[in-house]
Amino acid sequence: MLVDLVMIGLSIGMIYGLVALGISLIYSGLDIVHFAHGEMYMFGAFIGMTVYTQLNLLYPFTFVVALLGTALMGIVIERVFYRRLTAGGGGYTVAGMGIIICGFGMALFLQNLAYVIWDPTPKPFPVDFGRAIVIGDIYYPRVYLWIVIMAVALMVVLNVFLRHTKLGLAIRAMARNKDIAFLMGINVPLMISLTFGVACALAAAAGVLIGPINHVEIYMGYLILIKGFAAAVVGGFGSLPGAVVGGVIVGVAESLGAGYLSGNYKDIYAFLILIFVLMVRPSGLFSVETKLKA
Amino acid sequence: MTLIFEAVRRLNASFPPAPWLILVILFLPFPLLAANQYQIHLINVIFINIMLATGLNIVKGFCGQVTVGHVGLYAIGAYTSALVCIHFGVSFWIALPTAIIVTGLAGIIIGIPSFRLEGAYLALATLGLGESVRIFISATEFLGATFGISNIPYPEIGGIVFDLPSKIYYIIMPISLLGIFISVNILRSGIGRAFKAVRDDPVSAATSGVAVRKYKLIAFVFSAMYAGCAGSLYAHLVTYIHPDNFTILIMVTLLLMVVLGGLGHVGGSIIGAILVTLIYELTRPYPEYQMLVFGMAAVLIVIYMPKGIGGLIDRFLSTRKFIRLREDKADAAAD
Repeated sequence: MLVDLVMIGLSIGMIYGLVALGISLIYSGLDIVHFAHGEMYMFGAFIGMTVYTQLNLLYPFTFVVALLGTALMGIVIERVFYRRLTAGGGGYTVAGMGIIICGFGMALFLQNLAYVIWDPTPKPFPVDFGRAIVIGDIYYPRVYLWIVIMAVALMVVLNVFLRHTKLGLAIRAMARNKDIAFLMGINVPLMISLTFGVACALAAAAGVLIGPINHVEIYMGYLILIKGFAAAVVGGFGSLPGAVVGGVIVGVAESLGAGYLSGNYKDIYAFLILIFVLMVRPSGLFSVETKLKA
Repeated sequence: MTLIFEAVRRLNASFPPAPWLILVILFLPFPLLAANQYQIHLINVIFINIMLATGLNIVKGFCGQVTVGHVGLYAIGAYTSALVCIHFGVSFWIALPTAIIVTGLAGIIIGIPSFRLEGAYLALATLGLGESVRIFISATEFLGATFGISNIPYPEIGGIVFDLPSKIYYIIMPISLLGIFISVNILRSGIGRAFKAVRDDPVSAATSGVAVRKYKLIAFVFSAMYAGCAGSLYAHLVTYIHPDNFTILIMVTLLLMVVLGGLGHVGGSIIGAILVTLIYELTRPYPEYQMLVFGMAAVLIVIYMPKGIGGLIDRFLSTRKFIRLREDKADAAAD
């Protein structure tokens, strides 16, 4: 029982970790908290589901298409809407209430865009992963294994991209200081778009990975947003390794809570962790230099 | 026109509640003018939303604290009032103050995170708290879970039951106007100035002797009491409440009211509440497009009209004043 719960919590935690990674990436790169990130996850899942069922592509190809599609959508949204707001102060600043309200409005808009395109009934995302793995009395569905493998692979790729490529270096420079990066000849606006696109692609990856477990529906983005935030805050907002660790902590805690305490209140545990960490140690596990008073 | 303004100003100086009493009297015959009960219901909902928007404006517009948990407080108010009425069999007149007090206490809990957090962090904490309320309600059997609570009694005074929108109007309208009156006067007093100081710069407010934490908490408690009052009125107006009445959608609608009206502008938030409620009700048959438009409207208003309608009004008034000053000067020069 315990091992089962931890294993499943770990896999779900990877999903939260991917979303949190995107949120942290946007926060550290663009200095904004993106409240419509859950909708990116939802759109990723929907694009994946549509491609998979309509075009009959293989699951890995579906994955790639969903990632690219969502990344493109994210880039357009950032370029058209958020940049007007954040560029107001002569560059990217820690925008206050405006960007928060803007994010919520955008989340509502995207959710209902999905409502208009795909109606609100939950849709199945039927991917066959084969039989569950059974070791002794541990029962581990193969789809969870897939999640862990794909999520870890994505995280490794992201790490290599950010640490060991020139483009990654440019993104890190941009995150550090936009003015100086610009003076050093880095195309800052492009890097901002790229960062946002990568973050949205990570959310889409989480959506496509979770799709085969749950049904795909337009309201799925909202809860994951708060769980992703909880994960990001636990690890330290803006810290990338922290986001992954935070995701796993939130996932396991939620799974154990649902197993041992009460399944009804499953969704509240993440909120409680979020509030507790914000109150006690707002800088998180991997304490990062906070840009806001926290 | 100017004469009327002058008269109102003099009355206001000598006896502040007078213009508001006149307003209440002016609004009294409305149910006779309305064509059907639905229109009066609409007006009731508008008054309730005005209370919510006014309350949210205190904490968000005047004290500058980003809270997204307001709808949770609204839910607490509605559920407290309903449960007290149903389980203890007390009347609306006891349930309403109970709801206001309980919600005020909950406001302290929502307000405490603001001591240490600001901006997006505070938004996250309050979002978490507000949403926990809804999830807790929809998962708890005692609170009606996903079935909601029905058969909430109508208010009554001495045998007169306020069971129609046209009757309950006479409870909601005065309470709502009283709420606006209190809000206007609080914001004009020392407390209101302290709120603005905290909003504009907490550090210099603290150095000037403003107890920042105290005033943040006061702002949260005040706005929570408004939400509790609105929630209680709502519960007794529709007599059926459900966790889906208190989702994040409603929160965004509320945000839109305050943002459209202009943050930190009482009159603006009233106009915002009226406009948003009317649009919301008129487009009810098309829920998906309705929310599509609302979401986009919030985004575009923040980008292109950050001060909202209130800002436009202020600008219009100040320009007019300026033009009049210039004219006076020109006249003086001509003489």
